[in-house]
This record gives sequence, structure tokens and C-alpha cells, in this order.
Amino acid sequence: MNSPQPCSPSKTMHEFSIAAALVESVQAFAEKERAARVIEVRLTIGEFTHIEHEQLRFCFQSITTGTLLENATLEIDTSDAAVRCPHCAYTGPPKYWDGALAGTLVPTLQCPECGKSAEPAEGHECAIKAVKFTRENDPEYEAA
Amino acid sequence: MSERAGIMIPTIEASPEEIYDIELEHSLLEANGKLAVANRALLDRHGVTAVDFMGAIGSGKTTLITKLVEKLKSKIGVAVFNGDATTSDDADGIARQNVPIVQIATVNGCHLDANLVGKALGKIDLEELRLIFIENIGNLICPAEFPLGSKARVVVISVTEGPWMVRKHPHMFLGAQIVVINKVDLAAAMEISIENLTRDVHTLKPDIQVIPTSTRTGAGLDEFAAALLAI
Repeated sequence: MNSPQPCSPSKTMHEFSIAAALVESVQAFAEKERAARVIEVRLTIGEFTHIEHEQLRFCFQSITTGTLLENATLEIDTSDAAVRCPHCAYTGPPKYWDGALAGTLVPTLQCPECGKSAEPAEGHECAIKAVKFTRENDPEYEAA
Repeated sequence: MSERAGIMIPTIEASPEEIYDIELEHSLLEANGKLAVANRALLDRHGVTAVDFMGAIGSGKTTLITKLVEKLKSKIGVAVFNGDATTSDDADGIARQNVPIVQIATVNGCHLDANLVGKALGKIDLEELRLIFIENIGNLICPAEFPLGSKARVVVISVTEGPWMVRKHPHMFLGAQIVVINKVDLAAAMEISIENLTRDVHTLKPDIQVIPTSTRTGAGLDEFAAALLAI
């Protein structure tokens, strides 16, 4: 891993750790694929995670300089949260809370049916879904 | 250009670069997640419970842990992992309790991860232990996505942080089993309603155990110790 940049520890470090893992994984993948340049990386981030997209983009941009990912676009899709209730067997979208001061509705673990504690079923992922890259024509590679 | 039937037709030559779009399924949280599972398995084999403390700087995590260690050390084997980012002051305070302690210095200074906790587990004798307190770094933003292998998570908030801690950091509470509202002796002076904070926590997750505490008066510490022993 590259040595960490002096991001503001109060805000960006958590996204920084994830950006570092992201760049490291894609760089290794791109080298294996003999990519000339990575054009786009597509990520899916679950609604239950606490990953701030803009901060992740900022960290991504600041650590891709000099790598095959330099100037690559970071596309982020959000995957919906779902909960499963062990009390009433409800499975489906969570109850959202509009009282949070987070700018958006926040998914909760309160069962929308019975009001007891549900378990998170979906929406916890943070995964690379696709990498778009260029490869210079390489007869040796084609033959292999 | 090529000529066909007397007409010049433009031809497109393959670019020296080809574009590839390859689908993957690569989790960025999996590496830490696997290490957390391994830590948990190691702890389970030795019958040791680890509890992870999260909370803002100044919420009182270290003092709470020190008080709990004081209460519990004569009954069960306890140890403390301290993740203070910059100093060993916190570790020194707990060290006076004369229990095993490991200071975990994070390079990034942001949060503990399962790898660091795994290394700390290698430094103590698990045979004699029943409970490990893991004090995460004072940061309510980061650690939710990085499980450590603990059996339960405690989130510590204090009334001096104002009335909106739960509403400002809702994600942190979703993974918690116990929420401690600390410094309740100052609640009246701070005009903070413990009921409102508790209601906010339960809006996010109804079965979280909320324990109001004060390390100055000792309020709630017995209940907190009992809750930890029940995990």
C-alpha cells in the first residue's frame, strides 16, 4: 500500500482506507490483464455502509496519480438495504428514519411490520463490479 | 480508404488500443472481514469474549474501561487493547490496574482493524482471560465498516457532546449491542434529555441496551459490568 496522504483524520480516513484497498486491487488486476490504462472502475456500495461517496472519490483521485488508474472515472452505484425480522418473519425494505442529521434518510434496524429489532439482510457490500481498461495490441498476449 | 466499384470507401482501422470491460466481484471489506472471523474463532476457542468500545474523543471510553477493569479484575481475567493514535497516556493509566495491556498504534491513525487486533492477540496469554476490552480510536466516523472479531460492540456517547450524537452518526449505532450514555451527572447542566437520546438509539435498533453512566458518581457502572458479563 502507498503511504497514506495527510487526509483530515476526522473525515476522510475511513474512505481513504477503502480507496487504498480499491486502487491496490484494481492496479493488481490491471497489471495482470496487461492493461495500458484503466478508464473506469464501477463500485457498488450498500446503503447500510457508512461510506461517503464524495470523500471516496476525493481519496481515489488523490492516490491514483502515477498508477494505471490515473484519470479513471469512479462510478458508484448504491445497492438497496433490506432487513429480515426474526420476530415476525418480515423480509424486505427497511424502515427509514428522517430524523437523522445525515442529509439523507437513514435505513434503520427497526422492523417496519412489528417494530422489534430486525437484522440487516442486504446493503452491506462495498465491492468492485467492473473495470474498463485499454490494452495495447499485443500479439504475444493474443497468442497466449 | 479503399476503392470498390470505383467509389472510395472509408475504412476504420482498429485503434492501437482496444477497450475491455470486465465484470468482477471483489469485495473491498472482505480481507478485514476474514481476519475478524479468524480473530473471533481464536477467541472462542479460548473462551474469551472481546468487547469493542467506540466513541468520540473525550466521551470517556478510557475512564469507563479503567473503572470496569477495577470492578472485574478480582472476579475474572481481563485484558485491555488500547488503540490510542498518538500517545501511550491512556495505556499508562490502565496499566496501573496491573492487568495485561497491549497498546495498538495505528499508522493511519484512524481506526483499528482486524489485522492489528490479530497481532495484539498474539502478544497475550489467552488462557488466563475471560474478557478483553478493545478501545478503538476516538472516532465516530470510521470504525463501523471494520469489524475486529469482537463479540459485542459498545458505543459510548456522553451528554457533553450535545443532544444530536445519535442523529449525527446513526450508522455507528446499527452495529452496537450496548450504548452507554456517559457523564449523566452533567445532564441537567447540559440540558440534555437522556430519554430523547435513548429514544433516538431505539429508533435505529430497538433491542440495543442503553446504559446511562457516570464515572464520577459511579452510576450505572454495576449495570454496565453485569451487561458485559452477560455477553
